[in-house]
Amino acid sequence: MNSIRVKKFDYIIIGAGPAGMAAAITARAHGLSVLVLDEQPSAGGQIFRNIETLEATRKSEFSKLGQEYESGSSLVRRFKKCGADYFPDRSVWQIDNNLQIHHVSASASKSNSAISHCQAKRLLIAVGAMERPMPLPGWTIPGVMPCTAADVLYKSSGFIPDGEVVLAGSGPLLLLIGCRLLDVGVHVSAFLDTSMNGALLKALPLLPKALRSHKYLIRGLSLLWKIRKAGIPIYSGIQNIEALGSSKLEKVRISKSGKFFDVKADLLLLHNGVVPNVQITRNLGCEHRWYDVQRYWEPIVDDWGNTSVDDVSIAGDCGRVAGAAISQVSGHLAALETVFQLGVISQAERDKLSQPHHIELARHNHVRPFLDKLFQPGKKWLIPENDKTLACRCEEVKVSEIRETVRMGIKDPDRLKSMTRCGMGYCQARMCGLTVSEIIAEENKVSPEEIGYFRVRSPIRPVTLGQVAEID
Amino acid sequence: MIKENTEVVVIGGGVIGVSLAYGMVKKGAKVILIDKVDNRLTASRGNFGLVWVQGKGKGMPRYVEWCIEATERWPEFAENLETETGFDLNYEKTGGLEICLGEEEHQERINFIEEMSQASSSGRYDCEMISRKELQSMLPKITLGKEVSGGSFCSHDGCVNPLNLIKAMNSSFQQKGGGYRPEQTVQKIECSSSEFKIETGTHIFNAEKLVIAGGLMTTKLARMVGMEVPVIPERGQILVTERTSRVFNYPTAGIRQNFDGSFMLGSSHEAVDYDTETSYEVLQNIAKRAIRILPNLKNLQLIRSWAALRVLTPDQKPVYLESEQCPGAYAITSHSGVSLASIHSSILVEWILEKRIPRGFTAFHPERFNVQEAI
Amino acid sequence: MFKKQYESHETVSIIFEGKKLDVEKGLTVASALLVSGNTVFRSSVVSGEPRGPYCMMGVCFECLIEIDGIPNQRACMIPVRDAMKIKRQQKNKE
Repeated sequence: MNSIRVKKFDYIIIGAGPAGMAAAITARAHGLSVLVLDEQPSAGGQIFRNIETLEATRKSEFSKLGQEYESGSSLVRRFKKCGADYFPDRSVWQIDNNLQIHHVSASASKSNSAISHCQAKRLLIAVGAMERPMPLPGWTIPGVMPCTAADVLYKSSGFIPDGEVVLAGSGPLLLLIGCRLLDVGVHVSAFLDTSMNGALLKALPLLPKALRSHKYLIRGLSLLWKIRKAGIPIYSGIQNIEALGSSKLEKVRISKSGKFFDVKADLLLLHNGVVPNVQITRNLGCEHRWYDVQRYWEPIVDDWGNTSVDDVSIAGDCGRVAGAAISQVSGHLAALETVFQLGVISQAERDKLSQPHHIELARHNHVRPFLDKLFQPGKKWLIPENDKTLACRCEEVKVSEIRETVRMGIKDPDRLKSMTRCGMGYCQARMCGLTVSEIIAEENKVSPEEIGYFRVRSPIRPVTLGQVAEID
Repeated sequence: MIKENTEVVVIGGGVIGVSLAYGMVKKGAKVILIDKVDNRLTASRGNFGLVWVQGKGKGMPRYVEWCIEATERWPEFAENLETETGFDLNYEKTGGLEICLGEEEHQERINFIEEMSQASSSGRYDCEMISRKELQSMLPKITLGKEVSGGSFCSHDGCVNPLNLIKAMNSSFQQKGGGYRPEQTVQKIECSSSEFKIETGTHIFNAEKLVIAGGLMTTKLARMVGMEVPVIPERGQILVTERTSRVFNYPTAGIRQNFDGSFMLGSSHEAVDYDTETSYEVLQNIAKRAIRILPNLKNLQLIRSWAALRVLTPDQKPVYLESEQCPGAYAITSHSGVSLASIHSSILVEWILEKRIPRGFTAFHPERFNVQEAI
Repeated sequence: MFKKQYESHETVSIIFEGKKLDVEKGLTVASALLVSGNTVFRSSVVSGEPRGPYCMMGVCFECLIEIDGIPNQRACMIPVRDAMKIKRQQKNKE
């Protein structure tokens, strides 16, 4: 251990999305030494994926993406100039208790890419959110993808879906991506709306506050209107969705009012909301709580993003999901807190500098409770009714097997894992973890809060044994 | 408070407790198995799954015989469980290897095997040294590292999927009428002349017999019924790789290839109290050694790792004890709960239910620790 | 399943299942294969059912494929290179 070369930094940030970039800029402005590690080949996170190349080589598409992207582009430029040590293409696989971090190349297809080690005084986790898994029968057939996959392909490579596309799910992101696809001439043959009945009514009590930022609402409504106007069949009140096909997707079977019908499809894009990526915060032992409205786990943090683990804070959508704008705000706040904690500014200075950020946070947060309630994931889409559906894609563990094991008296996710192999695969329970907590909770008639989540161990990402041993 | 009366209460749902409970319901006893809340203290989910003789029992020949007998009962034990439950245990008795790096390890192993063979009272201890050349010919599909100097082979040894083992025993136990009560914390045990009263937060159990197989909780629980059973935790860390085609057909204590093709790597020993964190240093040392033995492993991706706490008595050999103060209360603790599952579910069950004391049983009495203590 | 909107500027030649494919430089292996109509990347290790890319962002590990002889590489995270040899993987790696 003494023989490895460990590079020390004041502040290490994992994630170069809006939150991570904002934090880096602020931290650097106060003279901290900053390292930013990110898995992707360029900065921007998911929302601003490939933004530099987009702006440089696909100008017309870039301008169509709107004002948010202009500001995203400017953020990336400021980030690249701020003087942080920025390393793209790095996967963190182990973080020690003393905040020593071990990372490898994210893309190397050989085992002998160099290991790097670094040491932080304070660590910021800004790894963003991921799509909530939406398990349904046939979801492992090639041709079924989360809607953000189409977004990635579009932003990174300019590719658009070919053939018949079916959209299924609920949430603003699905509407946004759906409209983007329509704009580029993609043929959407059906929109399967799984949002909860009466969702709008339930959200109404929160309406007065929300109206203060009504532009969000208007935007959401306009997206829906656009889809309607395009003449795309919209189905709601759906009981079941099943993807069918032998080696690739051929059709989507929709069950409604006791009957079913098939829609031809080459691509089925799913979305059931966005959830914080808690893999690293769980690995570090941070305390989490269950946010019931949106059915996900979030790290417990104070107003500055500090978690329950010393010197570890979060920013952005790996905590309460709030979008790109608030992600930046929370990045600035987390950095100011770190600058204060490391003794560079006083508490009073921190409070003064953070005032505009707190104001902006309050402004954006007016509409959030309303949106969260409006787009609550419907229970039926959290746990597929068809028991034969795979809950765990990697190890192919069916929902029925999980239920049977729970009925043996098994309540704890790790114990369930040991008996079913669910969660033991490459994705390290990222795709099944939430589903498992939901199933165990439902079987025991309690909240997932009581059930908990798998213990998240190292490696945070798979690495080769050669990389662990640090040999060529 | 839920009240339940039964013949036998077993405290501890790990591999030992479940083996005993399973064996007892097979004999027709009415059994309730109580399992704890604390998730960290489970050696039964964190072990290597070896069904092993080689390397164990130095200094206690009775224990070596005990282990050999266990491995001989294992094939039938596994077959019964598979028939009863339909679960695959992936049990294999291929014999086991210990692989040495360098001349020093090799010589140490030679000495050790000789000592063990000579100490074997029955002469059944079947373990021999093999040369590097022989070792390589036993493993035609994978190349040994340059430093591999040879090893030892023990015909008694085998391996199993320890997770499926517990699942199968628990399932069969419940199928045969056993009562499984998870999420329990034992708060108090009272013994009277005729029965035991066990209180948890939610239940009161009344039983004629009490079996304590609580792993690291054994010391505390055993004291409640007048027994002194010292156990301490020892941490072991394990790595598991992605699946690959089967190339390594014999288990060793540090490397084994599971039935599904993934490699499992260990072993490590640390006295760190109740800390079940993994550490970069130890994971790295395990990976380094594995690559020195099988260089091709370096390209395999590590998918999972964990740490678990072994349950060790002062000499690392079993304690099987009936309380003198409270007859009918038993404490059972051992390293190697997986290997001994076949014998725990049979011979020990006969001891508990029918009072049939195995030969040389006094070897397992904890008074041997007092004898060793210098005053 | 996916198609290009415009012609590629610079291309590289990769070899997929023994056949040469000219793909745009800068693409990930997953994007390159998808846009050339190849949607099945492997058969799953448990049941052998066909699997292909899912999340496209490195989270799900569905897009595992053999690259230059090394199996189980995340195709959505690896950029294409000239003369890269890509093969589908069957149930267990050889």
